[in-house]
Amino acid sequence: MANALFYLMAAGAVAAALGVVLAKSPIQCVLSLLASFFCLATIYLLAGFQFLAAAQILVYAGAIMVLFLFVIMLLNLGNPSTKDGTDEGLFRRKGAFLSVIVAAATMAAGAMAVTADGLAPATQPMPEHGIDTINGLAGEMFGRYLLPFEAISILLLATAVAVVVLAKRDRKDAGKGS
Amino acid sequence: MTVPVEHLFILSAILFAIGTAGFFLRRNVIIVLMSIELMLNAANLAFLAASRMHTLEAGATEASLQGPLFAIFVIVVAAVEAAVGLALVIALYRNQQTEQVTALKN
Repeated sequence: MANALFYLMAAGAVAAALGVVLAKSPIQCVLSLLASFFCLATIYLLAGFQFLAAAQILVYAGAIMVLFLFVIMLLNLGNPSTKDGTDEGLFRRKGAFLSVIVAAATMAAGAMAVTADGLAPATQPMPEHGIDTINGLAGEMFGRYLLPFEAISILLLATAVAVVVLAKRDRKDAGKGS
Repeated sequence: MTVPVEHLFILSAILFAIGTAGFFLRRNVIIVLMSIELMLNAANLAFLAASRMHTLEAGATEASLQGPLFAIFVIVVAAVEAAVGLALVIALYRNQQTEQVTALKN
């Protein structure tokens, strides 16, 4: 039952990801991405990562997607723009070759991971409370990984300042950029 | 769930490839940013698959927590990237009245 749900959600995540790449309107892309995130959250839950599933929904679906939707609505970009032939002939460009090459390389790496005998098979039962318990995560995050944690908090502060500077409407320099 | 961990890695590779394709093929900056989010999610899935593999393998005594921890860091970085990227989109739109990457040429 859980296995069937996993494959269903995997197919859903892939289909939704394809929707992001192929949909015409940015709004459709955002909604496809949202569907993909929910499918992935279900997969995290099935794989035993309960906290990550919750974080995925809260942060990605709750915050990041709202940010995307907000910008699309703010700039009124909801309709696919046709003024300069946007995204017409999607697969007739040079980028198509590049992306096919990268996709093939990624898939080859995946296939090698499958055929390599380095992957340990699961022999133990899943821990009762999932893998990423809050106790364990907090112990690692505020113990061994305290420095990355502090670096992340500085990154967030710098981002907040940078976004304000970038998005600020500068009346004096209007037209000159910034 | 008793799915072999290889299938998680394969799903991660497929999602990463789709994200890469979107990154190279689309011209709308917002959709390019969404493709990057897709790729970061695929990387997260690979982190979690590795953590699951090391937790459930024979002889493991405790859960392997580096995977979920770095997945959390990746989520934070994704949020930062989205915020800065969308601020750049707003700046681009203000100066060029377009959201196409081709407008960034000059």
